[in-house]
Amino acid sequence: MTAPALHLQGISKRFGVTRALDEVDLRVERGSIHGLVGENGAGKSTLIKVLAGIHRADSGTLAIDGQVLRGFGPRQIEALGVHFIHQERLLPGSFTVGEALFFCHELRYGPFLRRRAQDREAARLLREYFALEFPPGALVSELDSAQRQILQITRALLAKPKILVFDEPSVSLVKREVDQLLAIIRGLRDQGLTIVYISHYLQEIESLCDRVTVLRNGRTVAVVDPRSTSTAQVARLMVNRDVGEMYPKTVVTPGEVVLQLKGLGAGLAYRDINLSLRRGEVVGLTGLVGSGAKELLKSLFGLVQPERGSVHLHGQVTRFKSPRDAVRKGIALVPEERRIHGVAPLLSVLENLTLAGLSRFTRACLLNAADEARESDRLIAELGIKTAGHDTAVRHLSGGNQQKVALGKWLGRDCTVYLLDEPSVGIDIGAKVEIYRLISRLARQGAAVLVLSSDLPELIGISDRILVMHRGALAAEFDAGQVDSDRLLACATGAHEGTAPGLCPVRETQHALV
Amino acid sequence: MTTLAATAVSRPLLSRLLRGILPLLIVAIVAFFSVAAPGFLSLGNLSSLVLNNFVLLAIVAIGMTWAVAAGGIDLSVGTAVDFASLAFVVLLNGGYGLVVAIPGALVAGALVGSFNAGLIAGLGITPFLATLGTLFIGTSVQQLLSDGGQPIYIAQPVLPGLTAVTWLGMPLPLWLVLAVATVYGVILARGRLGREILAVGTQVQLARYSGLSIRQISLKVFIASALACAVAGIVLSSTVNAYVPMSGNAFLINAIGAVFMGTTLSRTGRANIPGTLLGVLFINVIANGLLLIGWNFYWQQVATGGLILLVLAFSFASRRQSPSY
Repeated sequence: MTAPALHLQGISKRFGVTRALDEVDLRVERGSIHGLVGENGAGKSTLIKVLAGIHRADSGTLAIDGQVLRGFGPRQIEALGVHFIHQERLLPGSFTVGEALFFCHELRYGPFLRRRAQDREAARLLREYFALEFPPGALVSELDSAQRQILQITRALLAKPKILVFDEPSVSLVKREVDQLLAIIRGLRDQGLTIVYISHYLQEIESLCDRVTVLRNGRTVAVVDPRSTSTAQVARLMVNRDVGEMYPKTVVTPGEVVLQLKGLGAGLAYRDINLSLRRGEVVGLTGLVGSGAKELLKSLFGLVQPERGSVHLHGQVTRFKSPRDAVRKGIALVPEERRIHGVAPLLSVLENLTLAGLSRFTRACLLNAADEARESDRLIAELGIKTAGHDTAVRHLSGGNQQKVALGKWLGRDCTVYLLDEPSVGIDIGAKVEIYRLISRLARQGAAVLVLSSDLPELIGISDRILVMHRGALAAEFDAGQVDSDRLLACATGAHEGTAPGLCPVRETQHALV
Repeated sequence: MTTLAATAVSRPLLSRLLRGILPLLIVAIVAFFSVAAPGFLSLGNLSSLVLNNFVLLAIVAIGMTWAVAAGGIDLSVGTAVDFASLAFVVLLNGGYGLVVAIPGALVAGALVGSFNAGLIAGLGITPFLATLGTLFIGTSVQQLLSDGGQPIYIAQPVLPGLTAVTWLGMPLPLWLVLAVATVYGVILARGRLGREILAVGTQVQLARYSGLSIRQISLKVFIASALACAVAGIVLSSTVNAYVPMSGNAFLINAIGAVFMGTTLSRTGRANIPGTLLGVLFINVIANGLLLIGWNFYWQQVATGGLILLVLAFSFASRRQSPSY
């Protein structure tokens, strides 16, 4: 029997009192795609950091191609042909695509960089691997997160790796790009590469992987073959409880209209948006990158200023001049970029939870520490935030718990409209269900909730109705109970245009105005 | 089976040691100078150290602490000190008395702060560049007003005599430090504004997305910083009985050094008033001791700068080892 390409054995790692990894085994055969799944906090990230040489394990061994390594750092690991594609690794925004792609491995003539050759070569590679076209000299800062991800993958491929580790690579990609990515990964495997693939999307794991290692609470609980194990079984192994009702939705009779948009438009981003949000209603919103859905959501929080049309809040014409203005008018946003806009990783749970409503704890300019602690503890208990205490820095929390903090900071404010931007991205199934439950509860308590998501089954599961945007316009509206992912996707991609009339109930009035 | 080894244990010990290092270093330096420089521990020297050096730098550094806590810096502290001092002296000489001169000086300082705040909050210029501009303008304006740097002395009949006042056995300037430190320290550590400053200083985008007004917060911070400097300006001109153009600029580097020493040595890595005061004391004790053992002013500067760098280097070295996830 040949030695496995990668073999981690009995890896343990503690952070203070937390046991992040407990005798974890991971055996990846050469030329296979190996999935690694687990709830957030299960130890996936820590395991990957041990493998990358960023963390040192307290005990255990690492062998690559049967060769046991000791005392290694990130450089040695990379020299051995193990490369990582991280969920959130940043590329410098001021670099051109070519510079970012060849960073540290620049093409040169003697001491001189061949910038133009780099840009040309980058364009060729991106076209070849991903059928992507960038204008020559495009800057990284001009790309959206999906394109940056693709750039990272291309960059890793340039290093001719033996083992590629994908850490949540598909989080920011839309369906078409995910399919492409999966096809590329299969192609890489067929060329003899060994792949470790970490994802929260079990459907991807199922269709892609040859073997799957399931982690739970820092232990390896199972190694399964996804072809003979159902997604539901894998999910059960991950959480060790029945996920049961994945989408807890209570039926609420919508109340009066809270927020109404009439003919709203902003630049080229979106136009002629008419929609109304009612109390007690969860409205789903979806659209591809560039559909204008994101900009529409930002407009409702004062981050983008609409130029045409009007916004009515409780029947009164209004304008959200800034996020501060929007917050004062009862709007809450749980943003997509969680660790930049949603929580401050360096601040404590308490400081994060109370930040949006400091006035409630203020007496004569000073904060009442006891009130703050009481309120934070209440929210921690109510939302089930897993933390050592309210003084713990948020960076020590898992993604799902960070998201609960990002949502929790609004709960004390009695907001009337909640805007959620990709609320479940990068969080595990268990935490997702808890977030869904919270969304449902907000609606039950009389708030209007607008959820922007590209996870279509999720949107169908938690919304009352779903709006689909395509190229800046509202393309369709569906009753969530009477639609499936395929129809939503057809609308979002514009597949219905001309070919299949009747598939997508287009609102004629809106298209007529275009 | 080989283990992958663990080295994480040593870090908390090192950083705990470092947190204690500044007080220990001050004690060690005091001990050194009390042996090496006879007269260092004399009442006369100690009171001059505290009254002439500590008070002024402490008040300026307290203002600077707020600017640093908000993620910025205030390079124009000297300008605020000088303008307050100028207004104070001119108003006294004009026969208006302390009742007008003190508020007048505070207003002059606040104007410098408002100018900064306008550049930062209004035009969106980064604090570093905005206050650098204010510093240049302030210095040039003073040169124009004072014929290239001529002091303006306070006329004999209207000498303020503030520094001679004692209350409960403690000189007034020390009471002022205590008052300013208490107000700024309590607001920074326990106040609503302090929390907002912390949020802006740690992660400005989060503060914005949480509905805080970044403009209003930086407005308050830079006016508050200049107001502290104005208090220092009043004490300065009451001490030397004159307005000496551009004398405030001497505080800039030491104030920054003191604030960053306090920041990097605190457990949380946040700018804080007690840490700043400890940093000020450290700088003052060294300068005074070196003066007594006969080093000239320039060597004092070299030694002070070197020691500040040493403390900061230790502190940053310990920080680099902390987990970076």
